[in-house]
Amino acid sequence: MIYHSQHPEEIRLETNLKTLAFTGACTIAFLILVFRLLQLQYFEYENNMKRAEENRIRKVNIKANRGYILDRNGVVLVRNRPSYQISLLYNNFKTKEDRDSVFNRLLRITNKDGNRLLDSAALAFTFERGRWQKFKLQRLIEDASIETVALFEERGEELPGIEILVESRRDYPFGSYGAHIFGYTGEISEQELELPENTNYVMGDRIGKKGLELSYENEFKGENGFRYVEVNATGREMGSVAGMPFFKPVSGNTIVTTIDWRLQEVAETAIPEGLKGAVVALNPQNGEIYALVSRPPLDPNIFSLEKKELHRAWASVALDTAKPLTNRAISGVYPPASVFKVITAAAGLENHVITEYTRYKTCLGGFHFGNRYAKCWRGGGHGTLNVIGALRESCDVFFYQAGLDIGNRRISEMGRRFSLGSALGVDIPGERSGLLIDSAAYEKWFEKRGWKWSQGEILNISIGQGALLVTPLQQTAMIGAMAWGNGLYKPHFLKEIRSPEGDLIKKFEPVKVSEGNLSERTREIVLKGLYEVVNAPSGTGRRAAVRGVKVGGKTGSAENPHGEKTHAWFAAVAPLDAPEIAVGVVLENAGGGGAMAAPIAQKILEAYFHPDTLQKAVE
Amino acid sequence: MKKLDWLFMSSLFALIGIGIMLVYSATSNTDLIWYKTEWFKQIIHFAIGFLFAAIIVFLPAKFWKNIAYISYALAIIALLIVMDSGHVSKGAGRWLDIAGFRFQPSEFAKIAYLLASSLWLSKHKVSILEPKTLLVPGLMFIVPFLLVLKQPNLSTALVFTAMTLVHFYFAGFRLVDLFLFVSPVASIILSAVSALYWNLLIICIFFVSIKFKFPIWLIILVMVFDVGAGYVSQMAWNSMEDHQRSRILTFIDPVRDPKGDGYQVIQSQVAIGSGGLFGKGFGEGSQTNLAFLPEKHTDFIFSVLGEQFGFVGVIVVLILFFTLFLRGIMICRLHTDRYVNLVVAGACTILFFHTFVNIAMTVGFMPVTGLPLPFLSYGGSFVITCMILIGLLINIRLKGRDIYYG
Repeated sequence: MIYHSQHPEEIRLETNLKTLAFTGACTIAFLILVFRLLQLQYFEYENNMKRAEENRIRKVNIKANRGYILDRNGVVLVRNRPSYQISLLYNNFKTKEDRDSVFNRLLRITNKDGNRLLDSAALAFTFERGRWQKFKLQRLIEDASIETVALFEERGEELPGIEILVESRRDYPFGSYGAHIFGYTGEISEQELELPENTNYVMGDRIGKKGLELSYENEFKGENGFRYVEVNATGREMGSVAGMPFFKPVSGNTIVTTIDWRLQEVAETAIPEGLKGAVVALNPQNGEIYALVSRPPLDPNIFSLEKKELHRAWASVALDTAKPLTNRAISGVYPPASVFKVITAAAGLENHVITEYTRYKTCLGGFHFGNRYAKCWRGGGHGTLNVIGALRESCDVFFYQAGLDIGNRRISEMGRRFSLGSALGVDIPGERSGLLIDSAAYEKWFEKRGWKWSQGEILNISIGQGALLVTPLQQTAMIGAMAWGNGLYKPHFLKEIRSPEGDLIKKFEPVKVSEGNLSERTREIVLKGLYEVVNAPSGTGRRAAVRGVKVGGKTGSAENPHGEKTHAWFAAVAPLDAPEIAVGVVLENAGGGGAMAAPIAQKILEAYFHPDTLQKAVE
Repeated sequence: MKKLDWLFMSSLFALIGIGIMLVYSATSNTDLIWYKTEWFKQIIHFAIGFLFAAIIVFLPAKFWKNIAYISYALAIIALLIVMDSGHVSKGAGRWLDIAGFRFQPSEFAKIAYLLASSLWLSKHKVSILEPKTLLVPGLMFIVPFLLVLKQPNLSTALVFTAMTLVHFYFAGFRLVDLFLFVSPVASIILSAVSALYWNLLIICIFFVSIKFKFPIWLIILVMVFDVGAGYVSQMAWNSMEDHQRSRILTFIDPVRDPKGDGYQVIQSQVAIGSGGLFGKGFGEGSQTNLAFLPEKHTDFIFSVLGEQFGFVGVIVVLILFFTLFLRGIMICRLHTDRYVNLVVAGACTILFFHTFVNIAMTVGFMPVTGLPLPFLSYGGSFVITCMILIGLLINIRLKGRDIYYG
């Protein structure tokens, strides 16, 4: 029915009536509320006040256990330990006297040597802060020892307002081993709290800061729970309250890594004390990293320390000129040195610029180019060599001349085929991409210094010096891919993600990063060279030989502008026909690669292929 | 500016001020930096809300008529979208992301339905004597009602119901018509509670309809509906498995849920009651500070008020609310335009219904429904809804004639 033209006055009367009804309903509803409020707040006040006073139920958050890190065979590499926090809840002081007596008692607590556990200035500061945040726990002692906890437990009843909380901290059963892989956790910072992805963290939560702890934070962290507990008059927990909501925390997932802890331990011990450098061992067939070491070592336990000590420990590592915080295996960039000759050789052979029969001018210990005289590493010269011999004996003069023929474009193209100059995408943060550039980019790169590309630069490039930088990880992946011949796979640590109960959640599938392909003929010749480096009497890397295994490798001794001893390089892969393991070693300012780095690679290969010998040696 | 209702405005500002203060007090127990705290975010919500309100105040009434049906259609679409994605995770289905903004389609639907229903009813009278007049407005109501109910969000669905009833009343129903209209629902509920009350209701309905001289066919229809609804619900109830019954009871009354909503209500009553006549003082109060109330800054903000400011405090706030609703509904008296009056009545109903249900919940009179308290509860979407409604009221007030007051 459509409205007929009602008179406005009629509408007004109707509206007024209905407005009145609405107001009436409103009034009745509000009166009901007023009566109920009067009942609660006036007639039942005493009762409600008593209930509020007696209300000793408190909501307690339960932090989830962080997931573990295991090696490929199930060895626990990172786990958790309980950590005790002694805290103050100011609200539990009923009177001023209460507070003062607790303050004085706290001051009197001494350890067995007779030293005070708390100093009066810090304690006074904490109490002052507590006065403003009565209902918030103020930390007195972080990560207290069992003895300290016992001291406080004994005096529990005379210390109302003091609460002992148990938290979980990271524990590293193998000390500094693997520290650069695992990274560490720390209290979330204000900046991190502001990030959109960190909305469900609160102040005081611990979060992964580096390494795997950071990469897989979302897997490790789990889900926090909470429960309601009843507390007694001094604030001590008397247990959970029945019938109250209780959300169990969900533990974080376990990360099964690709690390082979046996090899990691061998690698950790193989590097002589006091040297800086890195070791990487990986499976070239799928990119699984078996071992990764960076030196100087880093003790991850320091990041779980009490704040005061942490600052001191942190300062000592951060200011250390040896930079123990840097993971040299992925963040350290070095000239690839003679190891790069395999790229030069492959570029020449692949483009038919040289063949295995190509011979250049005899090496007499150096090479004249224009008005420059480029030396070979062996002053006495190598005589006349083909490419295999030049690789075997690492003859610079051969590669100077070959490099000039091949040209920089082909060399850098070959380098890119094996992912040099670009990050490989390893699953821990901090990887650097190194440097591999063509002549145009070279001029741009060095524009500030006014350097122009010149033909002479090829002399440096072809022997792995000059405008070239690689990480130990890249070097290892490169040599491995060259032998494998089916592509270069992303190096990674993640093998599986498992639930806390051990059920498989996710498996990592190998990812091909670059084709890394060579023609069969080229590969054969280069691998023959690698084989002879290790196995021929005149090879430079004989100290990497392993009984019964076809090991191939390449030495390198990187000159550095500081004029100190060379960086020792060795990159190995074995067995050459069906490569299972590639090893890269770099030692800063240690000398020649053949003498210093090859024996370390040998130890790892030995441990991989002859685990029993290792066992015997230990026994 | 003379036309601006200063009593209305000052009540509004007082409520918002008190609200921000209470949110501050309820959440000050954290370590967050000031610009990340809830109270600061709440200020931002109100700033945005005022922006919306200011825009709305200056838009002509014709504009609202033009967009009424379109926005209603958009709201239904938005509700359908979240229903579709709703089963991904619990609760997530109530939200929709558009261009980086998260909003609840059910909030938008409240306003869209208000405009659309007002427009239809301003042109078409409804009468219980002519059931076909109820067809279109009934459909307009039932679609968003069911979609919101399915989320599941019973309390918001009831907001739609309350507004519809008030709209029907303003568009032609008498109170007695409303009574007969809702009687089948009352039958369902009462027949489940007690047979005696239900029988009394049936008798009551019968005599009322005779007294008001309803036509025989309507009396028969209502009686059939009522008796039928009662019997069917009883039969259905008896034939149900225990777990089904408990699921329905939990749906109606979440206090039954062992997850602890009942605990909240008890703690809320203790908090309010322990406030006494004058309260424990701003920032004081163990109930609030010791985190007994998990949602103290949203749904249970009134408990914080009761604990800290006592009976005096809650009476002040109730008076402010009452003033706001009274001055709001009085805007109807300035107009003879049906559309405008329906918008005013609907907007006031939405605000009033939220207020009443929320406070009734905190004092233990109603199940925990999750309806926030206008202007006091923390929450972005709802603040903006409230401010849009306020904007509409001010707009209409400014365009009214200076006749009975002002």
